[in-house]
Amino acid sequence: MDKKPSVWTSNRFWRRSATWVTGVSAVLLILLTFDTMAQMKMGTEEDIKNKIDRRIPSPVVINYKIDYQLNRRRGHEVPIIGGMDANGKSKYEEKEKFFGRDDWSEEEARALIHKGKLTIQAKNCMDCHTLLGNGAYYAPDLTKAWLDPTWDTLAPAYNGKEYAIKEFLKNPPAMAMHERKMPNLGITDEEAKAVVAYLKFMSAIDTNGFPRNFGKIKGAVDARK
Amino acid sequence: MIIEPCTDVVCSIWSILNQGPMTLTIFLHTLIVLPMVWIYFDEKKRLERGDIPDE
Repeated sequence: MDKKPSVWTSNRFWRRSATWVTGVSAVLLILLTFDTMAQMKMGTEEDIKNKIDRRIPSPVVINYKIDYQLNRRRGHEVPIIGGMDANGKSKYEEKEKFFGRDDWSEEEARALIHKGKLTIQAKNCMDCHTLLGNGAYYAPDLTKAWLDPTWDTLAPAYNGKEYAIKEFLKNPPAMAMHERKMPNLGITDEEAKAVVAYLKFMSAIDTNGFPRNFGKIKGAVDARK
Repeated sequence: MIIEPCTDVVCSIWSILNQGPMTLTIFLHTLIVLPMVWIYFDEKKRLERGDIPDE
């Protein structure tokens, strides 16, 4: 009878393999964590002045025109801040008034966006919506809500996209656009303004093309029936 | 070109390795699997020599 020992039944082989795989995976995860931290680092006003692309730009992007354009090299849409140059990159030049101003300082913009974040948390937007993909799947993702073409059609009647979104947030049922109607959450004028700033800032984040479109969610659910 | 310049916003070793949908995955799996092949033959050699104590 062949007494040749099999490696596959050897405990030592499996133990060494498992140690190796676990060790490499642990090191890899640590390295990836540092990489992610570098990717997530918020840019500064200086970066915008020096035209350095950051995945998360400085809060002062609310002073700039933000666009969402297909980048052929990367194969998906990317946010274009302040106009696009011949290479399909952000120019950081074209400004756009945000509530009548295009000179929001970094501190002012950051404070406004922070208030918007707190409002979004206080009003539990994620009960229905997703932000950067996190949240509930009842209502549309808000990551690129600022860039939704619907607002461009409403902008002239409200003297600007930001005013249209603000009015919508203050009383959503009055401006219902989806089959699933957003309820009135009692958002004040100041809170709505801050939420719009947050949404505009978020639309400038490079999310590798997420989400892909601005489709309408169909199928209203009436809980009272 | 086989190796294309990085297209990511913030370039790193990972985005350079990520040349296509599978390149990063193939690289990392190779990194993990190749030493396992070595571990296999090393253990086989030891077993055949019979210098493994009973567990």
